[in-house]
Amino acid sequence: MNQQLPFSTDIQIAICGSAGDGTIATGDILKRAMARAGYNVIAFDLYPPEIRGFGKCIARTRITSEQVYALKPRSDVLISLNDAYAIPHVHEVDDFGAVIYDDTPIAAVQEGEHISGHLAPAHLPYAIPFREISERTTSGAKSRNMVAVGYLAGLYGIPREVFHDIIQSKFKTKPAALTESILTAFDAGFVEGVATFHLGFNVPSEAPQSDEKDDVIMMSGNDAVVRGCLDAGIKTFFGYPITPATSIMEKLAVEMPRQGNSMVQTEDEISAIAAAIGAGFTGTRSATATSGPGLALMTEMMGLATIAEVPVVVFVSQRGGPSTGMPTKTEQSDLNLAVYGATGDGQRIVLAPTNVEGCYWCAGKAFEMAERYQCPVIVLLDLYLSNRYEAVVLSRINPFDQDCNTGVPKHQTDKPYRRFEITDDWLSPRAIPGEKGLQHVITGLEHNEFGRPNDQADVHAQMSHKRHQKLHAALTHPDITICKRFGDTGQVQIGLLGWGSSFGEILEALFKAQGEGITCAAMKVVMLSPFPTSEVIAFMDDCDAVLVPELNYQGQFANLVGAMVGRSVHRFTRVIGTPLHVDDILVEVRRLCDDPTAPPTPVNPATTQEKLT
Amino acid sequence: MTSVTQPVYLEEKLEDIRESGRLIYRSKALPTWCPGCGYYAIVEAMTDAMNRLGILSEDTVVVSGIGCASRFPFFVDTYGFHTLHGRVLPVATGVKVANEALNVIGVGGDGDGFAIGGGHIPHAARRNVDITYVLFDNGIYGLTKGQTSPTSVTGFETGTSPYQNQDNPLNPLLMLLSYGASWVGQAYAGNPHHLASMLEQAIAHRGFSYLHVLSPCVTFDKTSKTYRNLGMAIRDLPDQHDNRDLMAAMIEARHQETPALGLYYKEERPTLGDGLKTIVERSRNKE
Repeated sequence: MNQQLPFSTDIQIAICGSAGDGTIATGDILKRAMARAGYNVIAFDLYPPEIRGFGKCIARTRITSEQVYALKPRSDVLISLNDAYAIPHVHEVDDFGAVIYDDTPIAAVQEGEHISGHLAPAHLPYAIPFREISERTTSGAKSRNMVAVGYLAGLYGIPREVFHDIIQSKFKTKPAALTESILTAFDAGFVEGVATFHLGFNVPSEAPQSDEKDDVIMMSGNDAVVRGCLDAGIKTFFGYPITPATSIMEKLAVEMPRQGNSMVQTEDEISAIAAAIGAGFTGTRSATATSGPGLALMTEMMGLATIAEVPVVVFVSQRGGPSTGMPTKTEQSDLNLAVYGATGDGQRIVLAPTNVEGCYWCAGKAFEMAERYQCPVIVLLDLYLSNRYEAVVLSRINPFDQDCNTGVPKHQTDKPYRRFEITDDWLSPRAIPGEKGLQHVITGLEHNEFGRPNDQADVHAQMSHKRHQKLHAALTHPDITICKRFGDTGQVQIGLLGWGSSFGEILEALFKAQGEGITCAAMKVVMLSPFPTSEVIAFMDDCDAVLVPELNYQGQFANLVGAMVGRSVHRFTRVIGTPLHVDDILVEVRRLCDDPTAPPTPVNPATTQEKLT
Repeated sequence: MTSVTQPVYLEEKLEDIRESGRLIYRSKALPTWCPGCGYYAIVEAMTDAMNRLGILSEDTVVVSGIGCASRFPFFVDTYGFHTLHGRVLPVATGVKVANEALNVIGVGGDGDGFAIGGGHIPHAARRNVDITYVLFDNGIYGLTKGQTSPTSVTGFETGTSPYQNQDNPLNPLLMLLSYGASWVGQAYAGNPHHLASMLEQAIAHRGFSYLHVLSPCVTFDKTSKTYRNLGMAIRDLPDQHDNRDLMAAMIEARHQETPALGLYYKEERPTLGDGLKTIVERSRNKE
């Protein structure tokens, strides 16, 4: 679809307002409309932890004709629905960018309180009376946000029908009069926008229509997880609400019963994973979803699933920590807990997708892997990935294997059944309750091949070996990206090694560095456990210096890499609660290029170039 | 109330058991409990109840937690899951939600159920998960060699209460009745025939059934809940007790000093599985 666009477009729009202004809803309409119009879209919202604290909300949407991987550090347009909140963000509007604001505040304002006094000389001011237009055309001022988005559409000459479709589908469960009023407000803004002096951006006068728009779906990381679960044939889900994972559970609560399946809200996270493991024992595909604090509670049960060899899938969306930390801020700081958090040597499979499409694949493949390798599988997301929207293209053919179980062959049922039989591939045939003659007990105690408790030295050694060895096959599991190299081939000056949601920023930094003549490659590691050691070593062999940017304090991924490959890497860590800044990574790349032995820059928010909070 | 009223001859007893057919429910593993432990009687009563109900071994899952009682699944020939300390009910709930056709029986001790696992009981009860929860109450932690439990009496001396336990014991029956369990009964390991009949009713009940089994720890409790003391204290529920009357059940449950055996309370109401089916129907009608 991208190739059909006649012009190269790359516009980022930030909408800033107070909770209650409809900021996030406006951003939602904008991104869906632009995706419908055939653009690539990446969007990410910031909102306060309070529901009605009049906290600051920002919805950023990047609209492009080419594939991009992250938001830009600076936006082209800022729409202010609340000047007090928007003023600190004026500086993030690019030179020759526009600031759209209400020229008629509700009350007289002191000098400096109006956004117009904060614009830089290079900014284009667009003052329009949102509130007046809303009040004139609808019953009140509540539709200010719709006037604003209508104005934006008119300004850019985007066909209003696309927006009408999206608004109608978004509000289809609401009274028709409300939808009508919203459309009226939108149109009033649109007319204003069309009549205004247009922005000089390189925008197609008529947005191209995608021929196969059904394949292009605007979805968040959590939406993609849900879609992956459903396509993989999930039968039971047990969960406990926690930000930012709750929307997985809420969407499954809608979709699973439609397929005749069960979503149960449990009393806590321990119960959630315990029930998911109980369901896994019966042979059905089962999962739970949580964040760091919930995963901490689940670690004992993860160990049980490991030793009892029961499949279970756990989606973990990280947020700022430790403890309750920053529930509505993003961070990549639960890697240690996901990879190592268990009693004993409890290795499990950990997948960390890097984009929304990856969330879909990892979710579906997690069920295949849990079943095939009879173990827990963690899919590690974070708030940025869970809540970020991208237009993704999904195949209409379900790509997931619906049955990866190693069952017990019929002719073996007359022999005493060994649930934990040592086999060539370390995977034991698994019987499930209901199968006659194969009754057995699984246990969290160390056990022999029959599953009987046994703590003899040779039994524990053999079973520990089995539980680790069987996971190696996951590194060659079909149709999943374990790790992947991007950028320049051959020997390069700088290698960027990354994981999870921040890999988008890493790729953007890579392209900028290449533009400056630095030879540069990047590798994303999707499977964190078991670790693709040989691939990472091969990549590092090609790099004069290796930089590992990530969103946590210690450099948890850098530690993992160091432990697995036995080489040192350059850390680049930030704990800012927001995505990494592309330009900050770029600065570090340049520095490392000049002096490959440079010490790392300190993890101090004050050193970050511009704060996007 | 003692169960042995006439001499029992081993040969005859074994013949009875063989003829009954209940041996098929016993696993080949020998129980690992101390000689004289009341839990042997629970295994016997369980196989007896399963045999009388005619349920199939392969369609039955016994889920347990951690503790002496939780070794139970190894001694019956069904599917079994020996899980974590206190997590019997969540795991059992998962098994039942995933496969309604299975008979799911949860077993565990007083520490497992009412200390570490206490938070799960109200939710299994209110959801009316169609499982049977058999709680083996010996009022002590046996597998860790004798410490106080939530049902230990005040004044009990153990390894962790050398100067006597100062906490009040919980009243499990009163808790279960107020949580909304749809079947609540009590039995005594020293009366295996009554125990078997209570287990049979509990398993047959459609909904969450809770059977509290009083059972002495012969190794670590020489003073409190012994066969002698329990044997003297227990009584039957009054003949006129109406097991549809929740308040009457609660009044009876208050007498912990003289525990009454029998069915305290029973009601029929939709199970978790019924609720999930309703949700499926609603979701399809709403589309």
